[in-house]
Amino acid sequence: MSMNFKAGDELTPFVIESVSPDAMRDWSVFLADPNPIHLDVEVVKAKGLGDKRINQGPINVAYMMNMLMAAVPGSRIESMNSRFLDNVYEGDHLTATGTVTSVDGNRLTCEIKLDVAGRGTVNSGVATLII
Amino acid sequence: MDDFPPAPDVAGTSLDGTKVFTISAEENAALCRSTGVEPAADGTAHPIYYYIATQVAMGKTVAGVCETCEFDVDDGPMMGSSGVKFADPLMVGESYKVTGEIVSLVRKQSRKLGVMDVLTYRLRLHPEAGGDALLETDNVWVLPRKELAG
Repeated sequence: MSMNFKAGDELTPFVIESVSPDAMRDWSVFLADPNPIHLDVEVVKAKGLGDKRINQGPINVAYMMNMLMAAVPGSRIESMNSRFLDNVYEGDHLTATGTVTSVDGNRLTCEIKLDVAGRGTVNSGVATLII
Repeated sequence: MDDFPPAPDVAGTSLDGTKVFTISAEENAALCRSTGVEPAADGTAHPIYYYIATQVAMGKTVAGVCETCEFDVDDGPMMGSSGVKFADPLMVGESYKVTGEIVSLVRKQSRKLGVMDVLTYRLRLHPEAGGDALLETDNVWVLPRKELAG
């Protein structure tokens, strides 16, 4: 993709075909967080939170970071802020997208979001990249 | 709203850590691949380590932060938002330590969740050897207060 970004440009999406419960198990170690809603379907059911394991929130942020880094090669994230709007579950098909809102010198600011196929936006926010 | 007791006064509680967090090449690679990408070739770690390193090496566990807020972690704290400002990228093989504090705990009435406390805490990641922070992050959690539900 050209580095000549301008406001309104859509960044190349980043797709996760199917959220993996194996990754959740790995992340419970990375985060030193053994919360069973990420590991045990029976616990999720018992808590009335559905019938699938729930992805750790920071993984969803990482997907949006992956989108940014792939769409703007050579850039680095200077700031990012996003809101958690809904859960992501094992097996969900996800698409992270971004839209450039401004370019100021070597700073590119964009709106970002993470959508679940058939269920809508689960995470949204703003990021600024140094390009 | 005025019928509820105020949220515990916890603003200013230190979250300075004593642990050292080192980003290993092996774990960074596994983490990157678990999110669908290969690790960077230039030695930078995945930027999501802003969250992981600060959470793991802060001075309290998530359960401990909840306890400070007089909230049982088993009652289901929910992430509201997470923000970060980087001064420098995180590097594989480097070791870091954390400073931070609880910024606020605000009791609110939510149509969807009933009474809840909104917890904001701020963490900074520094080189183990000391010096300016590489990043600062604000995390916001929602603590549903089922016991105060009407």
